[in-house]
Amino acid sequence: MLEPVMFTGGVYKHDLVMELVADLGGYILQKNVTQSEVILLMLVPTEDMPAIKALISELRGELVRAPLAGTEVAVVTPTLAIHHLPHTACDIAEYLRRNGAKTNMIGLARGVGREIAQINEYESGLINEHDAAIFIFGNFAECIRKKEDLYRNISVPVVVTGGPEISKSEMPYAFEYVPSIGRIAHRSKKANELGTLDKIVDSIGRALDRTRAEIAKDPLTTSPPRVMDAVREQIPEIEYSFSPLPIALNLNGVRVKLPYDEYKDAVKAVRFDEGVTVGEIARVMPSKMKDYILVRILPMSETGFVF
Amino acid sequence: MKMEPMEVFKVESPGEEFGARKYRELIMDILQDLGLIRSIGRLYVYIDISRPVFAVYGLIRTGMPPLTVREMGDLAKTQGGYQVKVNDEEHMADLLKVLWAHYGRERVEQPARDLVVIASDTSPADLVVTDVEAGFRQDLTDALIRIAPEGFRNRKNEMTEGSFFFIAAEDTLTPELIEEMKSKIRSMQNA
Repeated sequence: MLEPVMFTGGVYKHDLVMELVADLGGYILQKNVTQSEVILLMLVPTEDMPAIKALISELRGELVRAPLAGTEVAVVTPTLAIHHLPHTACDIAEYLRRNGAKTNMIGLARGVGREIAQINEYESGLINEHDAAIFIFGNFAECIRKKEDLYRNISVPVVVTGGPEISKSEMPYAFEYVPSIGRIAHRSKKANELGTLDKIVDSIGRALDRTRAEIAKDPLTTSPPRVMDAVREQIPEIEYSFSPLPIALNLNGVRVKLPYDEYKDAVKAVRFDEGVTVGEIARVMPSKMKDYILVRILPMSETGFVF
Repeated sequence: MKMEPMEVFKVESPGEEFGARKYRELIMDILQDLGLIRSIGRLYVYIDISRPVFAVYGLIRTGMPPLTVREMGDLAKTQGGYQVKVNDEEHMADLLKVLWAHYGRERVEQPARDLVVIASDTSPADLVVTDVEAGFRQDLTDALIRIAPEGFRNRKNEMTEGSFFFIAAEDTLTPELIEEMKSKIRSMQNA
């Protein structure tokens, strides 16, 4: 069992942490260096946590659990205009990131209004590439009920937020509804506002747990971090990707941020120690995001084995 | 008419008490951000989400005269011209623009950040730097567009000397709808 954790500490000797995690069979998901500080998102074997904790306390670093690590969450607003940004959307995205999720902000082209709100096929396709989505709506109950059309066809769990209290039974297509956010024009800083952000994180956590439980019924042939590691080792060009996270993890695969046409064959040919290639155990397809490569690992029922 | 800043502030939204309460907060936040609170005396907001339509009527605390060079800072006569020591830099760009237009660029110099020297015998004291009221009206329109729900793309703004009426809706704005909203606001005023 791998534990998702986040290390924050000085750049000095942080490579010792990375080495130890690799030696213990864990994975480094993301590394962010900000001047003299480094933030590492990692998956560490649960039984080896004491070893990591000991090293980190020696380095005077900080280690916290990041329950959303290794997942990608779409933060969807009706548009990217001043009415929805920056406060609500950025606060929610920031809070999810602090808990380890990779968030993508998505503003719909025509998501505004009560009668005129729309979502197109490309937008729903893009949201479906994530592990969960959060839709941020406003202060009027009637509008929030009407805007169900926007997320009805989304296949990943959708957490809806808005201002007023609305019973979940009125929103059958939402995974959960978190009230008391709505449209605000100031930064969330009051205790009750921060409490609501915590509720959103918990709700997203439950949504991801449901997906994990579904995956566990028919396990993936291999785990996404393993694919990530193999791709990183065997396609050195990934190091030159300008993206801050060149390989983004999902619960059921990875997104490799390299041009699809040039690198699809290289990704398919990536070979594991067991002798199989990515092409044999996963579907490699173009991502809706730019021209990236989307890898979806096949479940055991299709490949007949797990490693 | 003498009014205190925001002496009356009513928001009504039938069936959406939470929305009305939140919009109150939101309007306050936005007016505060743009520094408009002190210039508005009374504000009435009516939102009917079932139509959907959004209307605002406000009374402006007017009486801001145009800003002249004299009011910008200390004006002094010097050898060969005039010197302005600017106290508030907010309108510096406007000041330079006006002086350039009036005296020509070669006769206006800015030796320090807050100092402007004019090589001329005519005093710039009464030149109008900027019309504060016009700036305020622009800011107010911007604020109203920010406040109105985003999907309400059909908008109309009627501004008079001392008041403004702003209406925004998803559907076409008909004269009947505008008249109806005005009467709603009137009944809020009389309540």
